Amino acid sequence: MLVFHQSYYVFPYRLLRGYIYSLQFSTANVLFKMGSLFRSEEMCLSQLYLQSEAAFTCVSELGELGLVQFRDLNPDVNAFQRKFVNEVRRCDEMERKLRFLEKEVKKDDLHIDDNGENPTAPLPREMIDLENKFEKLENELRSVNSNQEALKKNFLELTELKHILRKTQQFFEQAALYQQDHQQVEVPQYDDEAPLITSEFSQGSFNKFGFVPGVLLREKVAAFERVIWRACRGNVFLRYTEIEAELEDPHTGDKVYKCVFIVFFQGDQLKNRIKKICEGFRATLYPCPETPQERREIAIGVMTRIEDLQTVLNQTADHRRIVLSQVALNIRVWMIKARKLKAIYHTLNLFNVNIAEKCLIAECWCPVVEIDRIQFALRKGTELSGSSVPSIMQRMSTKEAPPTYNRTDKFTSGFQAIIDAFGVANYREVNPAPFTIITFPFLFAVMFGDIGHGILMFLFALFLVRKERAFMQHKLDNEIFEMMFDGRYLILLMGIFSMYTGFLYNECFSRSINIFGSAWNVNAMNYSEQTLATNEYLTLDPNVTGVFRGYPLSYPTSTGLPYFYGIDPIWQSAENKISVQNSYKMKNAVLMGFGQMVFGLVLAMYNHRNFDDKIALYCEWLPQVLFLFALIGYLCVAILYKWSAWTVRQAGTAPSLLIGLIDMYMFTDPESNGRSALYAGQYTVQKILVVVTVICIPWMLFSKPYILYKRSQQKKGYTLVVDAEDNDDTQMTSLMEAGQSDEDDVAILHHEESGHAHDVKESEKFDMSEVLIYQVIHTIEYCLSCISHTASYLRLWALSLAHSELSEVLWSMVMSIGLGTSGPAGAIMTFLLFWFFSGLTVGILLVMEGLSAFLHAIRLHWVEFQSKFYKGEGYLFTPFSFSLIVEGKVDE
Amino acid sequence: MGDIYDMFFNMDSGYLEGLVRGFKNGILNKEDYRHLTQCDTLEDLKLHLQGTGYGHFLANEPSPLTVSVIDEKLREKLVVEFEYLRNHAYKDLATFLDFIKYSYMIDNIILLITGTLHQRQLSELLPKCHPLGIFDQMETVTIANTTADLYNAILVDSPLAPFFKECISEEDLNEMNIEIIRNTLYKAYLEAFYDWCQRTGGPTADVMCEILAFEADRRSIIITINSFGTELSKEDRAKLYPRRGKLFPDGLIELSKADEYESVKRVSELYAEYRPLFDGTGNNPGDKTLEDKFFEHEVTLNVNSFMQQFQYGVFYSYVKLKEQECRNIIWIAECIAQRHRAKIDSYIPIM
Repeated sequence: MLVFHQSYYVFPYRLLRGYIYSLQFSTANVLFKMGSLFRSEEMCLSQLYLQSEAAFTCVSELGELGLVQFRDLNPDVNAFQRKFVNEVRRCDEMERKLRFLEKEVKKDDLHIDDNGENPTAPLPREMIDLENKFEKLENELRSVNSNQEALKKNFLELTELKHILRKTQQFFEQAALYQQDHQQVEVPQYDDEAPLITSEFSQGSFNKFGFVPGVLLREKVAAFERVIWRACRGNVFLRYTEIEAELEDPHTGDKVYKCVFIVFFQGDQLKNRIKKICEGFRATLYPCPETPQERREIAIGVMTRIEDLQTVLNQTADHRRIVLSQVALNIRVWMIKARKLKAIYHTLNLFNVNIAEKCLIAECWCPVVEIDRIQFALRKGTELSGSSVPSIMQRMSTKEAPPTYNRTDKFTSGFQAIIDAFGVANYREVNPAPFTIITFPFLFAVMFGDIGHGILMFLFALFLVRKERAFMQHKLDNEIFEMMFDGRYLILLMGIFSMYTGFLYNECFSRSINIFGSAWNVNAMNYSEQTLATNEYLTLDPNVTGVFRGYPLSYPTSTGLPYFYGIDPIWQSAENKISVQNSYKMKNAVLMGFGQMVFGLVLAMYNHRNFDDKIALYCEWLPQVLFLFALIGYLCVAILYKWSAWTVRQAGTAPSLLIGLIDMYMFTDPESNGRSALYAGQYTVQKILVVVTVICIPWMLFSKPYILYKRSQQKKGYTLVVDAEDNDDTQMTSLMEAGQSDEDDVAILHHEESGHAHDVKESEKFDMSEVLIYQVIHTIEYCLSCISHTASYLRLWALSLAHSELSEVLWSMVMSIGLGTSGPAGAIMTFLLFWFFSGLTVGILLVMEGLSAFLHAIRLHWVEFQSKFYKGEGYLFTPFSFSLIVEGKVDE
Repeated sequence: MGDIYDMFFNMDSGYLEGLVRGFKNGILNKEDYRHLTQCDTLEDLKLHLQGTGYGHFLANEPSPLTVSVIDEKLREKLVVEFEYLRNHAYKDLATFLDFIKYSYMIDNIILLITGTLHQRQLSELLPKCHPLGIFDQMETVTIANTTADLYNAILVDSPLAPFFKECISEEDLNEMNIEIIRNTLYKAYLEAFYDWCQRTGGPTADVMCEILAFEADRRSIIITINSFGTELSKEDRAKLYPRRGKLFPDGLIELSKADEYESVKRVSELYAEYRPLFDGTGNNPGDKTLEDKFFEHEVTLNVNSFMQQFQYGVFYSYVKLKEQECRNIIWIAECIAQRHRAKIDSYIPIM
């Protein structure tokens, strides 16, 4: 075993460089998709005037397009009082019939044809044809079914009768046999089989008995026997035996198991009673003649009737199949048509009806860039209907916040889903999704760095991506699998990044790979034979010339570079591997955290500038940036400086960063306390930084409320004038000025008509205490979060440590035992242990550890990153789209 | 048991309690009823119910709808929910849910006996039985002529056997007897249920005893009022009173002496809970009947039972509230179907 001094700073630089690249890449990504993902689409509220005859076709076209979200203009009207409620009801009825047909098709295990055809919505006049067609099919099928049921019932009865005759024959034969036996042997034998009738036989009074044979469900037999015994006070004899063949219930088509029973009794009163009980237990009773000859005759008759019935049944089934196969061919298309019809009428119900002008008025949200396509669809719809009057689309101004619409594709949708799960972005707010595409897998990989595990994850995701089309066609039933499938690109990137960080950590299933040769040289230590023999631990001192020979291997000079890429593999066998890596990973975590938080603040600036919020920019954002830089930024600079300026030789005297930080806030001069300073003038710089930090707090706290207060005071003066409603000219001019000075604020609201904006401004009541409390909360939250969030990023280190330790343990406790054993036993053991090892690797390291790293990465994005700029109080754009409705993704 | 009871409640019944509280949120509110009463046809009713927790429960029914179809489907929905709860219930909760079922079993038996007495066919009677109260031997009760028969042959195996002990006699079954059997059975059932809840203790006892005590008192009062002008003697009547309510013992003694409506009212008004129920009732138009007042009070008690956690009362209350809701919907549906809108508003709102 070897022990090293702290080595060079290669590894963290590489990791950081990767992080910076990743940020660069994600900004490139943003530029590439600037129009679509960086901010949500620009939306506008439009009013549509549709001629009543063209409305149906226009809505149908818009549904195919799927780019408008209609607003309900009659929220106060009941569902059943709307205009097109009868049509909706007719569609419901059609759907019901189709569901019935589908159920019947599935019952017969016929394949439902799915050729991916997407029919357009039928015109209203075609609806009647469809209805008639479905009606006819339903009636036909129902009559076939009822016929079949009647036949089956008949069949069941005959089969039961057949069984009764067969089984009772056995009972009677046994009895007859017993009678013979009994006549030969004088001594009465008490046989378990038929103890009750024995005595009767001996007197030859068998014929006095009446009997009732029947068929009963097997599970009811026990209760039946008990009730019959009690109700008849034990004066009956019941025999039963199971029918081995399963019978079919004619009504439900389920398989049922039944029993044949026969009850012997004496007297008519008992007979009535028994019959009633049988009725109570839903037993079916059959007439059964008393003499064997008659029974045989009936049995033969039954057999021929069963055969006849079987042929008729087969014919009915064939007929049913023919009808159903026709249905199976078309049912999918019909279903889509019915759904589209219903969706259209449902949408038309949202519209305002203008009876005088014979038109329908609709309001809808739509993306500004798509207005042309929407108008084209409207024109097409009008043409289709043959109406001469065009449909009109008109933009409206509104105070309402528009919906948020981010265009996603199969790659980005998974990432957008992570963001939307936290909260849908406000309208036109910076959308974190494009950055998440890279930062999320990266932060995940920092916690999950292992080449082997990364490859496995990558291959799994690659499989999902390659088989994407096949999986999409079959509806996935498994919810958990579906979730993974939706995130397949996320997993793919996570796998790739895990391989990258795995190379940096130089870990593959916890083993190191020595590709370039270690930069350390044990020979240079010149250990004596005796030292090597007696010491368990040896120390490699990089200060000794030649021990750290650098790369390319330039012994005896020690001026070369450290290991070419990632961590030197020699650390794998070092005793102090963990403590060295901890220090690296911890500092890295702080650096990366700071980087992401600063990036969040940059995005906040984009938000403030986009909404033209100058107050927020100068009274909140600027002090926030200063605060973060003075507090955490300085720490980061110190980390980087210490890595680059302090060498191995000075390792013993290097100042502690932690103590330095404490000194900074205690206003202690490190040099006066006998500690070495990180750099000259450290004390002065630190004092300035602390002062800046402290100043930022009241800046954040008071400046914004103060400005708002001043403005409201100004406004109050003006509103008083308005209230007075004087005709005084001088006062009117001042009113005009007020309107002008408000111009800046008006812009925020994105209104064409400034009149509305003024209404908004004036309706806002200014409440000083509320503003102040809000500001206090946010200032405290921000100041505390700067520290707590930085600390929170340390989970990057903690999870990465946990992961590498866990895989180390798994290797040394399982795999190395097998590999360490020699001989054939070793081979077998290795073979067996390998399966154990791979099972645990997948189960614990990939799935469980992967999930935990995933959750922590989500948390870092939602809380630490997004809290810097993201409000997430918007609502999603849910367009009226046939493709969503047909797939059943939208529930009405 | 107290606090310990609370601590382990969720282990066995937490899931089901959560479920039933979720179900309870689906109960129609005032707004829903307002919409329902505005419906012109049963199709409208169906359309509106689609927008509530009932969802598409009528979607597969061919039009035209009838009230009986709605009734059947409403009941089916409740039964499905209840059976789900029962199948997942564990230990005490299972017993508790069985107790809820027993009351339906009693109703079913009485229904069948009365039906047979009036020469009705079994096939005609069976659909009228409540599906929650069906048990194996139920359909054979028609063979019995005397109560002793009924017990010895059939009910001795059923879960109702313990309640039956008091009403075994060799008399033939007739209308009067059946009423007495029903009330005796109910009395035994309520007392057993009450005692069971008392033994279970904890919040279950707090909530359930309150509800069951009201149920017992309601029965006592109704029995007394209905007995006027019949041949039921006062001593026999006194035997039918469930002895677990708030009226027990003094109130019941007073009740047993009553021979007119006014004296019942006088007795009941001595109790603070029941005084408001008798105020403003009468047969004048606009007045609510006593029965409705009782229902309203029951609904209040059942809604209140959701205020307490870690107890089984919510299951009982849910079933009762849902039943009331079914009655309401059926009432409204009947009013719509028969075009008799004047009384459409006399349903009993729950939330």
